[in-house]
Amino acid sequence: MKKIVALFVALILTLSLITAAFADAQARTLDEIKESGKLVIGVFSDKKPFGYVDEFGEYQGYDVYFARRLAEDLGVALELVSVDAPNRVEYLTSAKVDIILANFTVTPERAEVVDFALPYMKVALGVVSPDAALITSVEDLRGKTLIVSKGTTAETWFTANEPEVNLLKFDTYTETFNALLDGRGDALSTDNTEVLAWAIENPGFTVGVETLGSLDTIAPAVQKGNDTVLAYIDDEIVKLAEEQFFHADYDATLKDVYGDAVDPDNLVVEGGVIE
Amino acid sequence: MENVLEIRNLKKSFDGNGVLDGISLSVREGEVIVVVGPSGCGKSTLLRCVNGLEQPDGGEILLDGKPISAGNLVEVRRQIGMVFQSYDLFPHMDVLENLSLGPVKALKRPKAQVEEEARQALRRVGLEDKLHALPRQLSGGQKQRVALVRAMMMHPRMLLLDEITAALDPEMVREVLNVVLDLARDGMTMLIVTHEMRFAEAVADRVLFLENGNIVEEGKPADFFHHPTTERARQFLDTFEFTSVKKP
Amino acid sequence: MRDLAVLFKGNNLQRLLGGLGVTLELSLVSVALSVALGLLAGVLMTLKNPVIRAAMRLWLETVRIVPQLVLLFLVYFGMAKAFNLQLSGEAAAVIVFTFWGAGEMGDLVRGAITSIPVHQRESSAALGLTRGQTWRYVLLPQAARRLIPQAINLATRMIKTTSLVMLIGVVEVLKVGSQIIDAARYDAPQGAVWVYGAVFFLYFFACWPISLAAGWLEKRWA
Repeated sequence: MKKIVALFVALILTLSLITAAFADAQARTLDEIKESGKLVIGVFSDKKPFGYVDEFGEYQGYDVYFARRLAEDLGVALELVSVDAPNRVEYLTSAKVDIILANFTVTPERAEVVDFALPYMKVALGVVSPDAALITSVEDLRGKTLIVSKGTTAETWFTANEPEVNLLKFDTYTETFNALLDGRGDALSTDNTEVLAWAIENPGFTVGVETLGSLDTIAPAVQKGNDTVLAYIDDEIVKLAEEQFFHADYDATLKDVYGDAVDPDNLVVEGGVIE
Repeated sequence: MENVLEIRNLKKSFDGNGVLDGISLSVREGEVIVVVGPSGCGKSTLLRCVNGLEQPDGGEILLDGKPISAGNLVEVRRQIGMVFQSYDLFPHMDVLENLSLGPVKALKRPKAQVEEEARQALRRVGLEDKLHALPRQLSGGQKQRVALVRAMMMHPRMLLLDEITAALDPEMVREVLNVVLDLARDGMTMLIVTHEMRFAEAVADRVLFLENGNIVEEGKPADFFHHPTTERARQFLDTFEFTSVKKP
Repeated sequence: MRDLAVLFKGNNLQRLLGGLGVTLELSLVSVALSVALGLLAGVLMTLKNPVIRAAMRLWLETVRIVPQLVLLFLVYFGMAKAFNLQLSGEAAAVIVFTFWGAGEMGDLVRGAITSIPVHQRESSAALGLTRGQTWRYVLLPQAARRLIPQAINLATRMIKTTSLVMLIGVVEVLKVGSQIIDAARYDAPQGAVWVYGAVFFLYFFACWPISLAAGWLEKRWA
């Protein structure tokens, strides 16, 4: 058995050496994409309203709307590939797709392995609470119980910045939202996109705080060093600001979910500019 | 008469234990030789060496004057039929398929002809209704009769029978041995290992008594079974006799 | 109950069946290749040659120790990175599932062969059949019969494990299910129960005939 483990370790070492010895698969340049006549973009296929597949088998969502425009303006066909959160980076480093448009939050760690274009969306924390005892500011929360999911930005931010807020933590999103329904806490906090959508389908609850904490941006990503494609996306984002493209995108894909109560400017970024 | 089989100074040992210690023996055409002896005396090994299931350590074996070697083993086995103690029919084939496999695949004989012959052969051993039975549907005695027919289907120069009734219930022994007696009557050359002493006496032209890898005594059955010349043979034969313990 | 309608909305039912088609196509190709290569591998595994033995052992331990997902990533992403070999998700899946299935199948074949009494080989040899003929007519057919229940078990395991291919971009039945649930998350929050129920039945009806066939063969060969 020891011998086999040793052999196996040797195998893994060899594999990683091989992998290291060769450069990453080279992503396609903009010219190569044009020549092939097809732009390949990785999107979510089960994360409504950002990337999902409708009942007719068509990709839809905020990210997909933008993906269609990118291909259209380049004058090529679009191929969408279904990706998942844990493997988004792999798709780029192994050159399986040209661009990732999958609700990709910009973080310093990720920026080391992929190149992010200008942002086209922003997220912050939101706080949802029952209409009867609506929380409208962080001050309201002090001395009260806030429900959060373990390992989320909400948990980190409140622990660091608001020690007077009592946190009640759960493992999964479902448990967290059920706890709020059961009245086990005064309010619940997580990404504002999540609480906003949840409040719409649960009458009697309202998002009293729509943006809170550090603002995260969401941006397209390309393989590190793929400058031609990166430049094309950045140019597009800047150019599309003139027609307020992402507001139109919001109206087409997010408005149904968030309703009229939400100010689109709390989520949408035009021209890559964060105010 | 010609010697069908000739064994010269055959030696075989397993892990340093001598099992056959220089056996020499010749079998003439039509002759039936029965080998008897205590367990572990090397009887089975002797038979297994003859058709190459064991590799001898020394000596040589000739079939019709030609030495058996690794090179002609497959050819030799086609001319020597062997039946074993356990039921070694192929369980996934019916009786007809068991009988045809060797002649059709090894001898490349036409299938229709082989199957017709198989039907007739089964009839002779009283199993014509078992043509399409699977081995597991047969009794032990029926299986061994089929195994004998299977060996005969190859039209062998001689047969090796290795304790073919040892695993059978007593009432089935007879039906199998009757087939062997028929074969002997037809002049089949055979080398037989058995514990059935009455059968041995009836079927044999010559009896060999083997012990510790040596032929201790050899003779005609009437002499061997009734007037053994060696003490060892006498002791061995006594183990098959019982005297009444009831007072008259 | 109201959310049951999500199954019949738009093309959802056809999409689920299409997803099942992808699942079955990947599984059946992989299982067929695994059986063919596994028979060969199983015979090789019974050989005494130390080099072959070590190689076979290493292969088997690799597919047992390394999770299938890691293998999928190694072949789909790793091959692209190491050798710039861009395989489709489907091709990567067939390679990995065949690599896994043939190894496991080989071990089952090896077990089935070594469980055949030595007398069977000797009886066949005594009939003057060559080594090749002995394998073809006597040993392999018997091994195959012993193999059936375990091979069926392996095949159904492979069918279920193909759901991992969604992580290399292949949309199969479970992924279609998750897409349908997600697309209806606001209109039909309880839709998941119905969709997963439907997926359960699809898997069941895919694997059931295989089990039936196995039962029939077992009865016939027992």
